Amino acid sequence: MAILENTSKQKKMVHWHKRRFFQRLISLLFVLPALINFLIFRYYPIIWSARASFWKYSLMGGFQGYVGWDNFIKLFHDKYFWQSMGVTTKFFVMYVPSVVLLALALAVFSNQKKPGMEAIRALIFIPVVTSFVVVSIIWGMLLNKDVGLVNGILQTIGVPRISFLMNKKNALPTIVMISIWKNVGYSVIILVAGLKGVPKEFYEASIVDGANGWQRFWNITIPMISRQLMFITVWATLGAFQVFIPIYSLTNGGPSRATNVIVYYIYTKAFKFGEMGYASAISMVLLLLILLVSVFQMRLFRRDY
Amino acid sequence: MSTHKNTHTKSLERKLHRKVIAKNSLNMFFTIIIYLVIIIVFASPMFYVIGNSMRNSQAIWSNAFPVSWKTFIPYEGISLANFKQTLGIGDVAKGLGMDISQNLLISLASAIAVVTSSLIFNTSAAYFFGRLKFPGKKFLLIFVVATMMIPQQVVIVPLYIVANKLHLINTFWALVVPWYSSPFVVFLLTQFMSDLPYEYDEAALIDGANQWDILWKVVLPNIIPGLITVSLLEFQFIWNEFYWPLIAVSRTKLYPVQVAVASQFTESGPNWGVVFAAMTLASLPVIILFLFLQRYFYESAAMSGIKG
Repeated sequence: MAILENTSKQKKMVHWHKRRFFQRLISLLFVLPALINFLIFRYYPIIWSARASFWKYSLMGGFQGYVGWDNFIKLFHDKYFWQSMGVTTKFFVMYVPSVVLLALALAVFSNQKKPGMEAIRALIFIPVVTSFVVVSIIWGMLLNKDVGLVNGILQTIGVPRISFLMNKKNALPTIVMISIWKNVGYSVIILVAGLKGVPKEFYEASIVDGANGWQRFWNITIPMISRQLMFITVWATLGAFQVFIPIYSLTNGGPSRATNVIVYYIYTKAFKFGEMGYASAISMVLLLLILLVSVFQMRLFRRDY
Repeated sequence: MSTHKNTHTKSLERKLHRKVIAKNSLNMFFTIIIYLVIIIVFASPMFYVIGNSMRNSQAIWSNAFPVSWKTFIPYEGISLANFKQTLGIGDVAKGLGMDISQNLLISLASAIAVVTSSLIFNTSAAYFFGRLKFPGKKFLLIFVVATMMIPQQVVIVPLYIVANKLHLINTFWALVVPWYSSPFVVFLLTQFMSDLPYEYDEAALIDGANQWDILWKVVLPNIIPGLITVSLLEFQFIWNEFYWPLIAVSRTKLYPVQVAVASQFTESGPNWGVVFAAMTLASLPVIILFLFLQRYFYESAAMSGIKG
């Protein structure tokens, strides 16, 4: 009798194990399609790229032999690589602080309760939902030296016409300005969400303590939104290292390589000259650089807590 | 004595009152100035494009200088000829070959395909991460979140090779398949789902529901705002995507609208009216969605800032 009971218990256990196994299998089915996508389209390309950077590779011929560190040595001696890293650095230096500071100013301004403020916020956000191609082309037309609106305004107020995109000195700052115009709204919304999360009592208490507006901003607002500030800084950095569209659609890297940023250089190497292995090597270097810079920035902001 | 003191305080009050009014009006003045600057910087390009898309090139040139309201608003000779031409309606348009109607359809179809697949695969993945028990789930989530750190533009060369091996290059599916699931969307939806209280699931389990029922009857109805948010995010992403389609498809017929307008601009520089009309058509769908569903767009931005 007891034995019989025991076996039925065992059966139950086995049954339960089976059921749990099947349940887990079903659970796994929920996540499998997404994981397969990430494996094939996000992880595999990086692994492939890491491999290709040690090979000579062309689209037609495939892998044509192991070349060791040759691609990286070539890169080290490639003056156009260094030149385009220089352009990217310049872009980064001009772009990131401007976006962060402008977004902060606009967020503090548009966080006030005033009539029409929601419309203003929406207006700043419209470029974010507009494609960068459209934004670039429109600004290219607006900034046209002979017939563009901006030069029309300049001439109307008595300033001589400026060649924005065809001039070696002006081209990169112009691309930076277009990028700021396109992207600042996103950072504004993130900061506004952060500002809304600051408890009102903090400000009230500080007023009782006799803090002035500037002190309140510096000692309460900034630390309370440091997480958001970190995010928009890292975000802007990622954008700065990856800028491509305005350069593709407006300057093609010119005039005389003044806007030849690194992603554009990779694009021309890979898809104009077919040097896939070399382009992969540059991509790997860029990937490492981006990761280093963004991790460094996150560390920098973490200290604020 | 007391009356004197009274008048004294009254005048002081009045002074203070005046000071407050002065401060307020100064504040108001600066607010209006900043409003104007923002409107000029952000709205005037849009008005310029939409206004000039409705008149011919000659009218655009003749009103370009000196700059006045006429530069922005087509006061006479308003026509939709540019739109007709860019959509390939009429014989002239067909001859000029600046028809982007096909490209608009490609963009729409790929955006709908990605939104649909995203809703299926990302929601189920988020359900796994947010609601189901599984050993080592945390590591899997890290595996997913880590992909968000990979900059897309940087790995586009190898992505091209992978897509080439899968015979996706130069097909419609190149625009869809790599994006059928998105780590960021999985992450966002997981947040939405783990915010739901577990008592809901338990109550449903007691009523004899299985996991499938819980997903459909308990979880999904409660995260509809999240689903709308990610759908808009994906739609916007695919509609505005440029770099990937630029290299993944080289047949003009398969160009999504953004690639089409870029190539049209470089090929047909001088016809500004048509270019403006094409720009308007290429950006209006997402802008209209944004204007009607603003809070969902803000939600996705704000969430990435807090949780990212």
